[in-house]
Amino acid sequence: MIRQLTPLAAALALAAVVDGQTPPQGPVERDFLSRVRRLTVEGRRAGEGYWAANGQSLVFQSEREPGNPFYQIYRLDLSTGTSIRISPGTGKTTCAFINPATDDVLFASTHHDQRSKQLQDEELKFRASGQERRYAWDYDPEMELYVRSAKGGTLRRLTNARGYDAEASYSPDGQWIVFSSTRDAYARELSAAERKQLEVDPSYFGEIYLMRADADGSGVKRLTSVPGYDGGPFFSPDGKRIIWRRFDEAGLIADVWTMNLDGSDARQITSFGAMSWAPYFHPSGEYILFASNKLGFENFEVFMVDAEGRKEPVRVTFSDGFDGLPVPSPDGAQLAWTSSRGGGREGQIFLAQWNHERARAAIAAAPPRRRS
Amino acid sequence: MSTSTRYAAAVIATVALWSPSAPAQNRSSAARDHVQTLASSAFEGREAGTAGERRAGDYIANQLARIGARPLPGRTSMFAPFAFTAGSRDGGSRVTVTATPGPPRAFEGAGDVLPLSFSDDGDISAEVVFAGYGIVVPESQSFGYDSYAGLDVKDKVALVLRYFPEDADQATRAILARYSDLRYKALAARQRGARGMLVVTGPASPNAGTTIPMTFDTALAGSGISAASISARVAQAILGERSLQELQKALDGGNPHVAGLATGSTAQLKTAVIREKHEGRNVVAYLPATAPVAGVERPWVAIGAHYDHLGRGTGGNSLATREQAGQPHVGADDNASGTAAVLLIAEELSKRPRPRHLLIGLWSAEEIGLIGSAQFLASGGVAATDLAAYLNFDMVGRMAENRLAVQATGTSPTWASLLEQVNVAAGFDLAVQPDPYQPTDVASFNQAGVPSLSFTTGAHTDYHKPSDTADKINYEDLERVARMAAAIVSRVADTPQPPTFAKVEQSQQTANRTGLRVFTGTVPDYTSTAKGLLLGGVVGGGPADQAGLQKGDVIVEIAGQSIANIYDYTYALELLKIGQPASVTYVRNGERRQTTLTPSARR
Repeated sequence: MIRQLTPLAAALALAAVVDGQTPPQGPVERDFLSRVRRLTVEGRRAGEGYWAANGQSLVFQSEREPGNPFYQIYRLDLSTGTSIRISPGTGKTTCAFINPATDDVLFASTHHDQRSKQLQDEELKFRASGQERRYAWDYDPEMELYVRSAKGGTLRRLTNARGYDAEASYSPDGQWIVFSSTRDAYARELSAAERKQLEVDPSYFGEIYLMRADADGSGVKRLTSVPGYDGGPFFSPDGKRIIWRRFDEAGLIADVWTMNLDGSDARQITSFGAMSWAPYFHPSGEYILFASNKLGFENFEVFMVDAEGRKEPVRVTFSDGFDGLPVPSPDGAQLAWTSSRGGGREGQIFLAQWNHERARAAIAAAPPRRRS
Repeated sequence: MSTSTRYAAAVIATVALWSPSAPAQNRSSAARDHVQTLASSAFEGREAGTAGERRAGDYIANQLARIGARPLPGRTSMFAPFAFTAGSRDGGSRVTVTATPGPPRAFEGAGDVLPLSFSDDGDISAEVVFAGYGIVVPESQSFGYDSYAGLDVKDKVALVLRYFPEDADQATRAILARYSDLRYKALAARQRGARGMLVVTGPASPNAGTTIPMTFDTALAGSGISAASISARVAQAILGERSLQELQKALDGGNPHVAGLATGSTAQLKTAVIREKHEGRNVVAYLPATAPVAGVERPWVAIGAHYDHLGRGTGGNSLATREQAGQPHVGADDNASGTAAVLLIAEELSKRPRPRHLLIGLWSAEEIGLIGSAQFLASGGVAATDLAAYLNFDMVGRMAENRLAVQATGTSPTWASLLEQVNVAAGFDLAVQPDPYQPTDVASFNQAGVPSLSFTTGAHTDYHKPSDTADKINYEDLERVARMAAAIVSRVADTPQPPTFAKVEQSQQTANRTGLRVFTGTVPDYTSTAKGLLLGGVVGGGPADQAGLQKGDVIVEIAGQSIANIYDYTYALELLKIGQPASVTYVRNGERRQTTLTPSARR
């Protein structure tokens, strides 16, 4: 490498001896994550990687479809490195999940919306103008749940209610689907205050719902009814509890909660007084991984906490920017998560070996939870 | 076997071969053999144009012949010699000053007069005009500044101050700094008809009053003007009664309306620069395609690395400590590692079907300005338009924490998806950097319009020192890098449609940098793409160390300038004042902190 060409070189010339480091106190990222590697490279951003039951593939969302500035759903085969698109390619999609029993892929999509192409073009034009939005998810009421069957590849629509139906996942036996929906806001007469709320922040109406995986949109059961956004639900590994995140009414503070499948016995697991979300159980069922911006508004990190929330959560990742959406592999030995550590502001999916024993020990050693 | 199956088999093999915990250090390997040989003291640091470089070239050619590579079509040898300027020194420059009244005073010797390395040879005698800092800001800038306003320097000698006004406000300094490079000042003087330019370092500037050491300059010829630096003593002889200190003080506020003056003195300036011409050798070979390439679009794929290094470090690029000075800079990481990677990839590809020819280039004279690779592209051995892609390897032997930087990815839209697919098996913590304007041979190929990638595991504290030795190389991960790259080469070779080239705009920041004056003692982590400047370390006892900064900190703001990347940082450094504390905002473990750093002068 030469020194003269660029300022890098000039600054390099300042390199000399690096003196010893003061070791940081407490556990660090390396204690839990090893062989960190980047899984997605293509496209502006990618995220929400969820594993197939055999650990051989992942579904994820990525902005990489030519002519479409929104997320589409892809499935990455870890034995070949190739990705194929699962979603139709038009419109917006989000939050895929693989059925552990059938290998079908569940996701939310707006492709049936006749304005899809127009919305894509408008967004592309907006970006070409050099402007950039802060992260803004519009809770499009056109969003409906779809499933792409593993056998035959047919696409089936699961929901039919106006309102944002998304953030869906299967039970461990593949028989049930839990999801988040704003359908309540579109199904009844709203007060003036509620109408204003719907305009400003539709997520306020997000609640958790349960339905059968083979359903046709009927027989949906509502599990939560507290004002503020309830979303991102997943089943516990034994299929007996649901874990999700609950925002306060203002939509600023979120915490991780668990409840029974009928909505009873709701328990708050975290209390950082920050935005704690995207919880997911380790397959051992012993602890929960989640993301929080406790350390700074734009600095999300992955934390973990015991399944009952008795302990103060333990920090897992240590890098600037975004680290979140942690999802352990089915054997519990790897972690997929979304991180901006590869550069820029946008996230990509990373993969690392997960040290389960050290995680257990660190949680056991954590002090009791401080309740704010 | 079909392309895709073969590819899949290759990547699966990669997974199987990768066992990160194996004790690589005790295992013999091809990578180890190559690096240990090239970085042995027998090769004396492989400085371009020396016997050590020739021996290294011989070793490489033997290795290439062993795997069945051949000289390029129409050539009988793998060696491609080229001439280059290896350095420049003073050939007896002197200046004689005649002030009125008084007798002529002659000065010579490096302490009083030294030619600038890009000076023309000449012997001129002319009136001297003091032209302030000699800075001309182009009219396209919003800020007007012309040191020559109202002055007539035609056929005269311009006397100018080094650097730029010391006390100007930050915004003004930011503009002036860009036009204070000595070459730029010489150009401005020449364009106004001056026959010569004398540079003095003002008493208020760093390195006050001393002549400027001749820097390395690869130009084969002069710049159309006689130019030399002089000591404060010589300048004072020219200025007579006027005090240089007072003149500088009047200019240092940055006020563009402070005019220069005719000194009334005459200078006879003799400049002589001795440029040493040497001969370097590229080693260039190819593995022919295993099927006819008639009709194949862009029928070549290229891999390359420079194999030269700094010799005993006398050429000015060494960072050796006082104790290490004069020892062979064996360059195990820089760039025996990249050379080894190229040999490993070539060997692997020699066993596979190749629908395209594989060009293998080991470049010399990279360390002194990417000369070998540029020579190759100019020589037309293989036309750039026939290359489907070029993969470059520079410092790939010091992998830490699985981190691999891949640069120049912006040169083709193909690279992101290809890297994603290949990395699923290779499993690196990839840092992807679109910028192809890197200080390595990939810049030559980007310039020639070839879709390119460059691999590096980043800089370290042994960089450009004799301590960059073979025992510090991470051979196992070096082999992993080679396997991943071999998979990419195979992919490109196998795909009928070659990658399309995309032009990456060069940022103004990379284009306009000149020498830094201040020393902060920070060691940037060049593999990082984090927002801000990630510190790979700090110089012990240096200003950053004293400010409490440490490895892992990310500097996000310095002296009110926000820092998004290394370029911002380098730019901000130019604006710092030596000895004047600057506030630094940095992030440690996700927490924003503040400290104060006091830069010192860099020699």
